[in-house]
Amino acid sequence: MEDLKVTLKQQIIESLNLQGMKPEDIDDNAPLFGEGLGLDSIDSLEMMVLLERNYGIKIEDAREGRKVLQSVASMAEYIQQHRKI
Amino acid sequence: MMQPVYISAASALSPQHSFGTDAPLQPVMSSDNGRLYVQDADYSKFINPVAIRRMSRMLKIGISTGMDCLRQSGIEKPDGIITGTGRGSMRDMEIFLGDMLRLKEEALNPTYFIQSTYNSINGWLALQTKCTGYNQTYVHRGHSLEMALLDAQLLLNETTDKQHYLVGSFDEFTDEYFVVKNKIGYWKQPTPHSLDLYKHSDTPGSIGGEGSAFFMVTNEKENALFSIAALQMLQDYTPAEVDATIARILQENKILLRDVDVILCGMSGDSRFDSIYKPLFSNTTVHTTVGAFKHLCGEYDTSTGFAMWLAAQAFKTQQVPDAVIQKKGINPSVKTVLIVNHYILNSASVILLKANS
Repeated sequence: MEDLKVTLKQQIIESLNLQGMKPEDIDDNAPLFGEGLGLDSIDSLEMMVLLERNYGIKIEDAREGRKVLQSVASMAEYIQQHRKI
Repeated sequence: MMQPVYISAASALSPQHSFGTDAPLQPVMSSDNGRLYVQDADYSKFINPVAIRRMSRMLKIGISTGMDCLRQSGIEKPDGIITGTGRGSMRDMEIFLGDMLRLKEEALNPTYFIQSTYNSINGWLALQTKCTGYNQTYVHRGHSLEMALLDAQLLLNETTDKQHYLVGSFDEFTDEYFVVKNKIGYWKQPTPHSLDLYKHSDTPGSIGGEGSAFFMVTNEKENALFSIAALQMLQDYTPAEVDATIARILQENKILLRDVDVILCGMSGDSRFDSIYKPLFSNTTVHTTVGAFKHLCGEYDTSTGFAMWLAAQAFKTQQVPDAVIQKKGINPSVKTVLIVNHYILNSASVILLKANS
């Protein structure tokens, strides 16, 4: 699980081009949107693409997506349970 | 007859040192691979740090040029934003289309799609300046910037209020574009050094370029650098029609050819198209300086923007850089500049600029 979180953080940094940021700068439980990393709605779409491309996960229910994308920890947990790749 | 409009600020990011410098074109930049790329600037000075991370190079170039033009003009929020581009954000479009093929139209990144639209620079400029006024992007190949200027001219001619429009252009050059256009003879073979471009004017093809230029266009004469006295576009023209257009514009403005201080020609070194410029060399007297600019910025749809920026510098400094001059004239000052430019096959434009007096 810990390895998955580090990989996921690296993928988020690359996919969202978070310049100057390292995986250790992202807290597992910090909110990704709003106060935390300050990501926006386009970033959420980019992360949906990230989940689909890297883990074969397609989230079609917006409410479910909101829960999954709360933090790195919630994303990692969802990936572990639903990954197809 | 259309009333002249005024330019109160000009900014350009180009393959030359043209941005944020007191010594433009120093040193003169060149290349020997047939491509001239924009000299990058510190874009973080002009763009919101949260937004910049997602932006492509073209977006950063276009937005920074627009914001710098606003800064120079002292106008925080223009009445409208009008741009012209032949290619838009080419690189983003290439990435998006490449991903569509590679990923079989699934799981496509939204950012590349959003940014690849032609009007994304206008949108960002509007967001940054909170400008909710008129917003338009013209995609008319070699007439894109000219259409944007004409639109601003028409808008300013319709009002008696003092208004200011941010008008600009942007085009980027990519490796993919070079390869594709090479197949249809856009580029010279073998590739000459950019500064030797006109020594190879007996062969077809040119060198590729890119750039962005923005101007504050207004009906307010005070503090303006110069005015656009005439702007004419020609499509599927003959060299004789270009000649006749220049003669008509000068006559309408009661200017003799000898009184034109500087002519900036869009010679591209292409033997197929450069014949329209020959009369400008043979008909001008010792008074007029004749210059060229595509050996400095390369050939692209909106290179007229670079020429207009050069004209702005000439009005400001009352000098034409040596690198531009092809035939030096004796007129001591720069009060009138004529830009004659063509783009590849069939579009040309003639623009008469006058110093603000």
